[in-house]
Amino acid sequence: MSLPYPFKIGVQSLFREKWINLLSILTIAAGLLIIGISVFVLYNLDIATKKLPEKFSMMLYFNDGIQKEKIDHIIVSLKRNSAVNSVRYIPREEALRELKATLKNSNYIFEGLEENPLPDSLEIRLEKEAVGPEAVKKLADEALKLKGVSDVDYGEKFLSTIHYLKVGMKAVGIVLIAILSTGIIFVCYSTIKILFYRKTEEIETFKLLGATRWFIRAPFLIEGAIIGASGGFLSLIGIFTFYYIVVMRLSVAIPIFKTVLFPADLFLPLPVMGMFLGITGAFIALGRLRY
Amino acid sequence: MIEFANVTKEYDNQTALKDISFSVGKGEMVFITGPSGSGKTTLLKLIYVADKPDTGNISVAGWDTDQIKESSIPFLRRNIGIVFQDFRLLANKNAFENVAIALRIRGVGEKEVKTRVYESLKTVNLRHKSDSFPKSLSGGEQQRVVIARAIVSEPTVLLADEPSGNLDPDTAEGIMRTFKDINAKGTTVLIATHNRELYRNSGRRVIKLNSGILIGEEIG
Ligand SMILES: Nc1ncnc2c1ncn2[C@@H]1O[C@H](COP(=O)(O)OP(=O)(O)O)[C@@H](O)[C@H]1O
Ligand SMILES: [Mg+2]
Repeated sequence: MSLPYPFKIGVQSLFREKWINLLSILTIAAGLLIIGISVFVLYNLDIATKKLPEKFSMMLYFNDGIQKEKIDHIIVSLKRNSAVNSVRYIPREEALRELKATLKNSNYIFEGLEENPLPDSLEIRLEKEAVGPEAVKKLADEALKLKGVSDVDYGEKFLSTIHYLKVGMKAVGIVLIAILSTGIIFVCYSTIKILFYRKTEEIETFKLLGATRWFIRAPFLIEGAIIGASGGFLSLIGIFTFYYIVVMRLSVAIPIFKTVLFPADLFLPLPVMGMFLGITGAFIALGRLRY
Repeated sequence: MIEFANVTKEYDNQTALKDISFSVGKGEMVFITGPSGSGKTTLLKLIYVADKPDTGNISVAGWDTDQIKESSIPFLRRNIGIVFQDFRLLANKNAFENVAIALRIRGVGEKEVKTRVYESLKTVNLRHKSDSFPKSLSGGEQQRVVIARAIVSEPTVLLADEPSGNLDPDTAEGIMRTFKDINAKGTTVLIATHNRELYRNSGRRVIKLNSGILIGEEIG
């Protein structure tokens, strides 16, 4: 065996104390699996809500009989606004035509309709980045103040619900990840602390024979790293299983699950994250070694 | 090599050592003697910095134990081979592994560990027990494993705390011969014992303690 000695002690202890180690590996795996699934859900939520603003537009309706120059003027000033992507003028005739086309199977609605009830309007498409509820509300308020504008219509409720849902889910996700990470560090901390206490005698002897702090610490850090990484690896297997069994099955029954994305790359760091948390827990458990 | 200057050490108001001054030169073999509770173990502990004196100064192999940084303590201890009174053998490791520890903490390579450990076990006539675990060894054999561990690193100072323990006279004599051989190779040896048989007619310095006080010195 050409492994460095501290490494050997660490690996030996891993097997010697297999039950406590297995228990903490499983606990860590469960924690990291929940983290992985949270990331998975957040990722898909993010992708889904990113597509929404592209379809988002604001409608601006004019008073009857407004002059065309005035409309042109408003179009020019709107286009200058950085939140605005494009502006399309829809004369009332076109609006009616479009409406009729949309409702072509229910043409009876328009029977007996002598006058066009629709106003002239503008369809304003917004820049993606600008579509926060505050930005849109500001734009709508400004537009309403313009002379000749009768009404502004945008999905106020819908937009802010989506926005806050997104922000809220992200916050919940981050808090959840932080709590679980702390929990995992604590699991490693306790495990290494127990193993450390079980070896108090041996460690004291090592110290008296002239072992440095790092010689004493190294096996425990290695053990923590292996426990963490193993937990991470198990969680990786878990999340792939979760995807292929749960999500794939669901997508057969419920079509919307077909659009769910599985960012495999995003999960590959789980073992590394586990290892990092394991080392952190072990490091805290060892504390300041005294001579 | 070892120098005590006005060293006092108290445990819970009980004086273990009081105003002790002496020095041991390089290559000497010196005995510390006195009845049980006279402070012999305490004196040795202060040498390998398992404890620090309340007052006074101790220097060991060029290190001032009062000034030493905690991170340097291992390096001071690497100059010292210790035969502990309570052995401190690792129960879950065989004789070979117990001796090897002393080299492994020093980062000695596996190949060299092997030759040196076997050589050291041969010195104490335990080569054939390398695979035995402490619990299957007799008291005298355990004692010799501890000695093998203390000398395998070729320390400049060897400390032995009651090395004859409850051993029979023959075993004790064998152990003393090992110490003399080590000493002949240049290692400074300090032996704490209440057993006057060990130093009788040795021709070595004997430092006498009683209730923590250095009451005199003679040649054994
Ligand atoms: N860790 C300790 N805590 C309290 N008292 C101690 C401790 N170590 C030694 N003593 C006391 O110091 C005195 C000297 O002890 P020791 O050095 O072990 O003597 P010896 O080795 O000569 O038998 C004794 O009275 C003992 O009770
Ligand atoms: Mg004693």
